[in-house]
Amino acid sequence: MEEFLLRLQESDFGVWVTSAPTIFGPDVYATILMLHTVGLAMIVGPAWVLDVRLLGYGARLPVEALRGAFRIMWIGFFINASTGIALFISEADDKGLRWIFWVKLASIALALVVTSRLRRAVFDGAVAPDVAPPRARSLAKASLLLWLVAITAGRLMAYVK
Amino acid sequence: MLLPFASWIHNTSISLLLQQQVAWLWPFCETLHFAGLALLLGVAGMFDLRLMGFMKRVPISVVKEFMPWALVGFTLNLLTGLIFVVSQPAQYFGNPTWWLKVTFLIIAGVNAFIFETAYGRRAAALPAGEDTPTPLKIIAAVSLISWAGVLWAGRMLPFLGAGVGAGL
Repeated sequence: MEEFLLRLQESDFGVWVTSAPTIFGPDVYATILMLHTVGLAMIVGPAWVLDVRLLGYGARLPVEALRGAFRIMWIGFFINASTGIALFISEADDKGLRWIFWVKLASIALALVVTSRLRRAVFDGAVAPDVAPPRARSLAKASLLLWLVAITAGRLMAYVK
Repeated sequence: MLLPFASWIHNTSISLLLQQQVAWLWPFCETLHFAGLALLLGVAGMFDLRLMGFMKRVPISVVKEFMPWALVGFTLNLLTGLIFVVSQPAQYFGNPTWWLKVTFLIIAGVNAFIFETAYGRRAAALPAGEDTPTPLKIIAAVSLISWAGVLWAGRMLPFLGAGVGAGL
């Protein structure tokens, strides 16, 4: 495993990420980190808006109006899966086996399961109900928390050895 | 001019207190800074999209009810940001990318002020389903671009220009 991760990190692609310049920043690595943060905002921002609305905040807003949030979240997820894989390759040997990284991956996986269940619980019909069923409320609370854990674990990857 | 100011801040009791804080204060504040970013951009971004003509069936005033959450995110980021700057003033004052971030922040702030004072009432009175007037679309675009600029410059801080003011 160690050897595989080292080979990933020292591959042409891995080296390119940490050394080639771009128009947005000094190297591909910094640019990808920045895009990873843009993706974070596109996923977690709409998710939290939906969560607080389902928990009863801003009740005058029809839940149906937030159906489009999933499209933004999908684009964000696409950005972060691609940039995440590139970051992983470039630092595979340094960070790939850290326990905090597994916490991050696990919380994202759980958050995705929760989000897809939330979508089914609320947006399956032609018009989303304006008062969320209890199940959707629990899922909204889980979503709030899981994305916070994912952000925390992601940030701590720079610190936890 | 910046050098004495930075070293003055660096020697204030609050800065000294922050510098001697537990090692996890900085990562803790960074985490809050990222969570606040998501909250702020999620809510403000939704409002900007509404001003641009998305979700037309929903009155602007209803979307605006979510703005306190954007303010929570902004306050979180202002406070954690101040903790960063007060504990390491030279690291920020000496970095041109940080000044770029501040510039984008000022643009976003002035833009929001213009919206509130000049268009706030007009926007609130706009009936649901009606296309938003061009000035509102421009304000929304300026807002989205300037927040993207804040994020870009903020994320580039350790990579762009960090060495410029190293001696400051």
